[in-house]
Amino acid sequence: MALSLFIAVVLSGSAAAEVSATKDPQTGLRTWEWGQAGVKFQLVQRLPDQTRAFFQGRGFSSANADTIARSCVFQTIFRNAGKAPLSYDLDDWILTHKGKTRSLQTRERWDEVWRTRDVGQGPRIAFRWSLLPTRQQFEPGDYNWGMTSFGLPPGERFDLSLRLTLDGKVIDGRIPAITCAADRPQGID
Amino acid sequence: MPRIVLFLLLLLLPVLSPFATAQQAGQGLTEVTDRPPSPDFLLTDMDGNRHRLSEYRGRVVIINFWATWCPPCRAEMPSMQRAWEQLKKEGILMFGIDVGEDEDTIFQFTANYPVEFPLLMDQDSSVIGQWPVRGLPTTFVVDPEGRIAYRAIGGREWDDPELLVLVRALKR
Repeated sequence: MALSLFIAVVLSGSAAAEVSATKDPQTGLRTWEWGQAGVKFQLVQRLPDQTRAFFQGRGFSSANADTIARSCVFQTIFRNAGKAPLSYDLDDWILTHKGKTRSLQTRERWDEVWRTRDVGQGPRIAFRWSLLPTRQQFEPGDYNWGMTSFGLPPGERFDLSLRLTLDGKVIDGRIPAITCAADRPQGID
Repeated sequence: MPRIVLFLLLLLLPVLSPFATAQQAGQGLTEVTDRPPSPDFLLTDMDGNRHRLSEYRGRVVIINFWATWCPPCRAEMPSMQRAWEQLKKEGILMFGIDVGEDEDTIFQFTANYPVEFPLLMDQDSSVIGQWPVRGLPTTFVVDPEGRIAYRAIGGREWDDPELLVLVRALKR
């Protein structure tokens, strides 16, 4: 699949880390990728309508599906194609938005939301397993797909500071200027 | 000038096509060195048959946790079927454990992804909660003593001969 219109490659704080941003010319959706030593972390914009449809199809009410859809959801791919074991904890990750820092909306934080609303067991199970695991250990060759939610309104921009442990060493990375998909057709901006 | 442009494009190719990387299957199996006992379960398959894992002691069992909406789960299903066609003749078992979905949903899925190995239903996710699973798909290979011998997080090409060598080597 060709992704090309927008390309920016910058060096992050760690010398060997690489960050790229691309835009799919057909869908207008943007992808951000951070990589180092065979580890790849990708965030692919999801349109709020995609997310609404997905969770309504899993039994969520329109209102609850809308709450998720308007919380800056990305399709996420985290892959360890390197040669060393990798672990991460999303609770260690920080996003910076308009000068303020905040945490990701992890499975556990969403569970607290669902406890206050009338959400059935089936939708909650589907939701839990749809999100990227909050904590994970990848051996070489392992990977996960899952959604990540940043709790910001559509169209907002933020920086992500990520942290992982690779072969016992803590690595900090940064992906600047990530944009939540707008709640309107893409490819116009 | 055109050669320079071509060179730069070749350099950027991996950046331009992240999905090509994303859709690759994972590789290999991770050996679980301490071989913990596998949590037992009693689940029903699509034909109404009940399967208790502990009743399959003495055989190698591949257990795949999945869901129909999970892209890498779908992607690895055809290779699991191809692996099953080889392994079933050798007495090795394979179970797909669907998490949180009903029979109708799984039935519709199998119209597009026909598989012959048993698909079990863990509708209330009580079984997956007993296993060391954090994301889907995750697959375990259980040895004849009922211990977890290998683990794979993310999809695999299950008919990869190198991978099947490891599975077959667990047979008594």
